[in-house]
Amino acid sequence: MEKKDRIHPLIPELKSMMEKGSVTRRDFIRYSALLGLSATAAYQLAGLAFPATAHAANIKRGGTMRIATGIQKVTHPAQFSWVEPTNILRQVAEYLTYTDKDNITHPYLLQKWDASDDLKTWTLTLRQGIKFNNGDEFNADDVIFSMNQWLNKDVGSSLLGMMGGYLDAGGIEKVDDHTVRLNLKKSEIAVPEHLFHYPAMVLNHRTFEGDFIKAPHGTGPYTLEVYKESERAVLKRRTDYWQKGADGDPLPYMDGMEFVDMGDEMSPRIAAIQAGEIDMIDLATTGGTSAYKALKDDKRVQVKPIGTAQARVLRMRVDLKPWDDNRVRMALKLCQHREKILGLAYFGQGLLAQDFHVAPVHPEYCNKPIPKYDPQKAKQLLKEAGYPNGLKVNLAVGSEWTDVVRYAEILKQDAAPAGFNVVLQTMPTSQYWEKWTEVDLGVTPWTHRPLGTMVLNLAYINGADGKPVPWNETNWADPEFSKLLEEANGTLNVDDRRKIFCKLEQIQWDRGSIGIAWWQNNWQVVTNRVQDSQPHPTGYMLFNKVWLSKMKS
Amino acid sequence: MSNAESITAEDKTALEEPEKIPPRRSLFTRFIDAAAILFASKTATVGLILVAFWVLVAIFAPFLTPYTPLEQDWKAPNEGPSVSHPLGTDELGRDLWSRLIYGARVVLVILPVSENVWIPGGTAIWGVIVALAVGTALGLISGYYGGWIDEITMRLLDAMMAVPIILLYLIIMAALGASAINVVLAMTIVGTPGIARLVRSLTLDIRTREYIRAAETRGESPWYIMFVEILPNARGPIIVDAMLRVGYAIFAMGTLGFLGLGIPPPSPDWGSMVAKGREFILAGSPWASLWPSVAIASLVVGLNLLADGLREESMRYQ
Repeated sequence: MEKKDRIHPLIPELKSMMEKGSVTRRDFIRYSALLGLSATAAYQLAGLAFPATAHAANIKRGGTMRIATGIQKVTHPAQFSWVEPTNILRQVAEYLTYTDKDNITHPYLLQKWDASDDLKTWTLTLRQGIKFNNGDEFNADDVIFSMNQWLNKDVGSSLLGMMGGYLDAGGIEKVDDHTVRLNLKKSEIAVPEHLFHYPAMVLNHRTFEGDFIKAPHGTGPYTLEVYKESERAVLKRRTDYWQKGADGDPLPYMDGMEFVDMGDEMSPRIAAIQAGEIDMIDLATTGGTSAYKALKDDKRVQVKPIGTAQARVLRMRVDLKPWDDNRVRMALKLCQHREKILGLAYFGQGLLAQDFHVAPVHPEYCNKPIPKYDPQKAKQLLKEAGYPNGLKVNLAVGSEWTDVVRYAEILKQDAAPAGFNVVLQTMPTSQYWEKWTEVDLGVTPWTHRPLGTMVLNLAYINGADGKPVPWNETNWADPEFSKLLEEANGTLNVDDRRKIFCKLEQIQWDRGSIGIAWWQNNWQVVTNRVQDSQPHPTGYMLFNKVWLSKMKS
Repeated sequence: MSNAESITAEDKTALEEPEKIPPRRSLFTRFIDAAAILFASKTATVGLILVAFWVLVAIFAPFLTPYTPLEQDWKAPNEGPSVSHPLGTDELGRDLWSRLIYGARVVLVILPVSENVWIPGGTAIWGVIVALAVGTALGLISGYYGGWIDEITMRLLDAMMAVPIILLYLIIMAALGASAINVVLAMTIVGTPGIARLVRSLTLDIRTREYIRAAETRGESPWYIMFVEILPNARGPIIVDAMLRVGYAIFAMGTLGFLGLGIPPPSPDWGSMVAKGREFILAGSPWASLWPSVAIASLVVGLNLLADGLREESMRYQ
């Protein structure tokens, strides 16, 4: 996997902006850290001393961390469709791999993996000496049992859609007690990333019978004591966890974790963290703009940003008029005043984007210039397409996504000079999800995925039957694009893949079906007593090494 | 009722003889009289002032602000009151005073049919008028005919009333989609049962009166009796009820807008202004949600006071 040692091209620009005073020091550090500069280097460039990091000596053990989240009904981990419950149970059960906040995937319950040159045979070597919290030894049977659950049609896991295309249950082979071989139907580079997809928890094959809450036996650092839907969940430290802390004793440092459900509204959670009643707000599924706005200047709370490939995608159905004409699509794309959109819709908390679905956080991202807002050119394109007097279009908008509504309102205003009359059709978000693939023009939220190929394969190709794949909401498929993407899927070397992505991005910008104005930041919101916690682009709580300072919260 | 038998058709015609009725007063004097009734009550006066304020700013909105309600200034979002923006700006840098008074227009003065077409009479007003028309017709018919027509109509309306109002609004708006016309439709569907009930009970009472018998004896058609004999005599309670209903309608518009089901953005709908501004209260800019809340509250309170005052005064004269 790639090591991040290049300096992002935006960092020198950010530095000069900071010197001119248009960016604060704090923001400079925030942004440049997002852009891949190490925090130490960022602090040096900003002329500040890097805050002392915790050493083994001052790590304190003990304490219970309280987190506000949604406590949903859960039974089978493979059926998870929301991140919130996985954040509770990922402290109890674990995954074979682990994708860090920089989108680099590491072995975890695996010792290592080896892929054949054609990327069709993957040999997974398991870490030895790991025990489930009920004393059972972790071995190849658990891995095979879990994978069979993922691929079982009756379980209905989203992993089936993700992995089913290249892996059958018959392709899983037990080599010995600690080695499993996957024989794929076709080349795939993203196997390690898929093994960290949130439903892919490793289950204990001896005790699991379909309901994890009844037999919560995982390899994780905590045991599940209480799980009450819509109320609370309590986790307690186990003493024989396989990872060791800086002091040589087994992790975790904390005695326990407690999750409380405070309802759907953000304001009580904000009030609770300000009062010190909780230590963290889980923003995995709720979206954090209001928490960010309310808490960013609060001295008691740390709001840690992380850049993601999460986006609001302005999508146009290319098989429906008027979007079948690329000139009309290009005209609307040119009507995005990206700086204004990012500033107002998302408070400047993200990076500008360029209408292709590959983000700067993706390892294979190929840098391209940010398109300018150009209503004149858009007007010209509309005229060429046969709409000299302008064009009325309906834009479907889920009204509970407030940033999407702001984006749509700005677009309406800025597209008017080009001749677009954008009529907003607001609807409850649940209603939007009922027809997100059917509306001709709409804004669809797409979540973060660690590899550039993952979304492109999900949304911008035809399936084997020649029809658009299920999540291809714009029905756009381009022969040249599909061919290049298949090539990228089979290219392990990141630099080679980036060369292909330069072409992919250009095609999507030139004749694609989407507009993306900005990439969103996510935040981790914790009180000051929470130490060594790191935000993750998907909102995962990877908290094995988190500890609590003695400071009374 | 005691002298019901004594009045005959002859007496009725005698009453209608022109020389026995004082000459019809001019529209102006009648207006002055009506105003006098209003100003006789302190409650009604306060209500009237509140309502009149909003009606006036709504009518004259284009002259009261240099901004349009849609003009975005992306350099100045979420600002507090200042000289250039007397009430501050919203999350897209639009002037709040301008949005507030143009929002009042949509509520009280114009009904936007499509982007460029509108008809006079605000959305809330139309919601009440249409509900009033449908409800009154249904109430008169079931009250006057009685029997199985009454039974079926009233049981159907009862069934509608059994559904909680807010749920009914949500179902209707989710099914029809968000637009001003659909808001009027939703208000009609939700408002009709209550109005029909009221009119029916009034009709049940009035249809036993002597002059109805007289009209029947004259051989008038049922429609004539319902709309010319009964309806004008039931107007007092209906007007007071309608006044209250305009208040509920404004509230309903606010609720729908707040839930994202009202008039779609970027229209300056008060409810959606509150909903959008709410996100910024904890972030230290309460203005965007404060002003429309104040607007809804003052207008609804004004209408209620006006209705209460009217009822008091009209009761006194009875």
